[in-house]
Amino acid sequence: MHRIHLGEFEELVLLLVAVLHGNAYGVSVMEEIEQQTGRSVNISAVHAALRRLEEKGYLRSEWSEATTQRGGRRKRLFDITQAGRAALEQSRDTYLKLWDQIPGFAPKTNMA
Amino acid sequence: MSAAKPPQPPRWADRFLEWYCRPELLEEIQGDAYELFDVRCAGKGPKTARRAFVWDVLRSFRLSTIRKITIQFSPDMYKSNFKIAWRNLAKHKMYSSIKIGGFAIGIAACLLIALFILDELNYDRHYPETGRIYRVIGEMTEGEFAGKGVDFPAPFAKALKDEFPEFEKVARINPNSLFTGGGNPIRRAESNQNTYEEGFTFADQELLDILQIPMVYGDPKHALDEPNTIVITKRKADKYFPNENPVGKTIIANNNTEKPVKIGGVIADFPPNSHLQYDFLITMKGVEFYPGEGNNWEASNYHTYVLLRPGTDLAKLEQKLMPIIVDKYLGANLSKAEVEQVKRTGRIYLQAVPDIHLHSADIHDGMSHGDIRFVWLFGAIAAFILLIAVINFINLSTARSANRAKEVGLRKTVGSTRGYLIAQFLSESLLFSAFSFLLGLLLAWVLLPYFIQLSGKSLQLPWFSWWFLPSIAASTILVGLLAGIYPAFYLSSFKPIQVLKGKLSKGSKNSGLRSALVVFQFTTSIVLIIGTLVVTRQMNFILNKKLGFEKEQVLLLQGTQTLGDKLPTLKKQLQQLPAVDAVTVSDYLPINGAKRNGTEMWDAKKEQQGNSFASQIWQIDYDYLHTMGMKIVAGRNFTEGMRSDSQGVIINQALAQKLNFTQPLGERITNGYQKLTILGVVEDFHFESMRENIEGMCLVLGNSPNMVAVKLHSDNLQKAVQDISATWKSIALSQPIRCTFLDDSFAQMYNDVKRIGRICTNFALLAIIVACLGLFALSTYLAEQRSKEIGIRKVLGASVGSILGMLLQNFLKLVLIALVIAAPLAWYLMQEWLKDFAYRYQIRWDVFVLAGVAVSLLAVLTIGFQALRSALSNPLDALRSE
Repeated sequence: MHRIHLGEFEELVLLLVAVLHGNAYGVSVMEEIEQQTGRSVNISAVHAALRRLEEKGYLRSEWSEATTQRGGRRKRLFDITQAGRAALEQSRDTYLKLWDQIPGFAPKTNMA
Repeated sequence: MSAAKPPQPPRWADRFLEWYCRPELLEEIQGDAYELFDVRCAGKGPKTARRAFVWDVLRSFRLSTIRKITIQFSPDMYKSNFKIAWRNLAKHKMYSSIKIGGFAIGIAACLLIALFILDELNYDRHYPETGRIYRVIGEMTEGEFAGKGVDFPAPFAKALKDEFPEFEKVARINPNSLFTGGGNPIRRAESNQNTYEEGFTFADQELLDILQIPMVYGDPKHALDEPNTIVITKRKADKYFPNENPVGKTIIANNNTEKPVKIGGVIADFPPNSHLQYDFLITMKGVEFYPGEGNNWEASNYHTYVLLRPGTDLAKLEQKLMPIIVDKYLGANLSKAEVEQVKRTGRIYLQAVPDIHLHSADIHDGMSHGDIRFVWLFGAIAAFILLIAVINFINLSTARSANRAKEVGLRKTVGSTRGYLIAQFLSESLLFSAFSFLLGLLLAWVLLPYFIQLSGKSLQLPWFSWWFLPSIAASTILVGLLAGIYPAFYLSSFKPIQVLKGKLSKGSKNSGLRSALVVFQFTTSIVLIIGTLVVTRQMNFILNKKLGFEKEQVLLLQGTQTLGDKLPTLKKQLQQLPAVDAVTVSDYLPINGAKRNGTEMWDAKKEQQGNSFASQIWQIDYDYLHTMGMKIVAGRNFTEGMRSDSQGVIINQALAQKLNFTQPLGERITNGYQKLTILGVVEDFHFESMRENIEGMCLVLGNSPNMVAVKLHSDNLQKAVQDISATWKSIALSQPIRCTFLDDSFAQMYNDVKRIGRICTNFALLAIIVACLGLFALSTYLAEQRSKEIGIRKVLGASVGSILGMLLQNFLKLVLIALVIAAPLAWYLMQEWLKDFAYRYQIRWDVFVLAGVAVSLLAVLTIGFQALRSALSNPLDALRSE
């Protein structure tokens, strides 16, 4: 597979989209980042990351139904693609491999 | 917003988002922003939520989210825009050529003046250490010697260097003709034929170190190290030592064979934009113009230049200068009260070298400088001429709007947006602007030689400078937009229904603004015309003023000191010529560039009290007063044979008044060295420019042989000059005669006034031409518009005269309003200018009448032709189609 670099923030967003599983869009991802990591980010940064991930083929998106919320505007819901999963797994494996090589450290849990 | 409705995000931010955001991203971004807004409203209140919303919108403004601007336009659209513009331009040839012609004139004027201004602003910026080089200025704010000057005592430079570590280098120059600076005859040591050269000055080696002028030959560090060395410029080296290295060769100045000077080096010529313009720098090493000068703090003859160490705090340094110099050096010769006064009212400060050219109007340094006020003035004139041309464009475009109204209506009906129409009209004005700039560049290029003459500068169009063509292109766009933006918005605002129904009144709409613009054009023109008139009158005032001496028919022979012993013979022989009235030997003359010797004078009785007055002290001979046509108002002239007259003095009325002598004859005055008895009082005569008041003057007997003045009484001046030349040739074998007429030299003192007058005249002419062009086109158009009205009036019995009057009246009214506005404005501006002169022309009402009549006449002539044609036209032609 052609390797595309995954930025730190991108990786975080990609993970959270996977976590949110079907309910991932700009605001929910932003809130999740805040809750899970305590990092406060601007919505525009989330949008930019989502857009880039979609361009790289790690995410796909579809429009939700319109509701009376949000001024009647639809949500763009994101979901992780096969390629996205592969990229996450590869990233994790790399990290684990590197952790293993640090003398005196053993990973406490194995995230299968 | 009513209370019942939920809070809304700020409308403008929302619109801004909609405006910049790419359509495909808008729904997502806007929706999320709204959702966040609602959440925050509930959590933190509407105020915080609104602020956060704005922040989100601003943060979302990214390269990846904004619309691609170019997508809206296609090249075809531009092509069609320009095609239509071109067709319009070609269809109305007269209007187009007036628009373009006026523009081109304005642009050419701007371009030339811009060249002038750029040149003025670039003086003295070429030294490697420009930023650290300063000239020392002394200022007194009160008393007899109030003013700013650059002359300091000989030991001043050394004192600066010793006392203040901030000065890295200090250099003196002395260009005073009193000490053979200025002009001198020189020759190569092996030659015996003298040539007269200008541009001599004494200078320290440090001057070369400070300025770091590139050296062609010689060692820049030691060129003026030794006594009796000289540094000359490249062009003089080429003249006297072609194709050889002159270093080490000797030249003889002033026939002084005992002290030949050795050439220590050859420097590059001073560029034209340097305030220093010397060709011969003689070393100051080992030079004392009189014994003890090196330690004399009482005579000030040296200009002092300094190089500051990097990082010096200028303001702090300047504060220290005067107190320390006075305490340690100057104070020794002064009384306690004087020391206090000097400390209180005097100051020494530093003038940055690049400022010297434009900011020295009030500094007495004996150089001719530019003036920052004229830079502003010319800049303003250029801008106004361009504005007048822009107004022509606006006026003609909006006046003729009716012709384009149908086009606009139809375009809108078939779906054109206003934005597109604006773009279309703007491309039209850009096209006009481009043509105008081409023509303007051509015009500037053609007029450049004339303008060089006018401005007295060597200017060039910098075609190949990297910034020139880009800035021309940028100006083209800028001017095109400036002229086109109002018509574009105006024309594109027409409502299709009204236009197509024919409801738009033709050309009359917006006449208020148009009138205002015409008034503006003529106000500008009239101000310029009045300015021209006043400058001309001031010049005439100067040239015709009673001066206290006769400047007509006086021939000046220069460089006569080289004759040495033969000078009295020359005088005698000249006196015997039939056309010669009188001859005097003295180079102290009441014109610029002649010798000067300033001093202080005391009443001999009150010397201790220190009431001194600034005065000149001139050396003359027995025939001086007669030759110059000066009048003795009391006492007598010097008499030949009376020995005591060598201790006598003739003072002028101004000094007599200052000294407060009721009976000046027989009183004694002193300059501290010698006591002089007043023999006579001469009527005040102008010996400096009319910019200054007449100061004190002492005339004493003496020999100052650089010039001989010959008073003629002859109808045939040419013959007289021939006779004098023949006499000269028989006595001065090795030197060609150099002579000028006193009145010519006098007029030269006011060349700058003349130049301003000529520049004003020319630009006033341009302004009025452009304004009249516009008026012509406008009146032609309006007469066309009213052709039917005129036809009906004629059918109903109106006379040609009444119709003519009706057509003229409208515009004449505008010209009169312009006159009313312009007169006080011009009066104020010219009054400010005249303040430069101590002796000045009083502005009278006839200047305004003259300007008013001239402009009205021009306007009538401009409009009259069209008006007359309309008034004489056959009503049948106009009305046939109804």
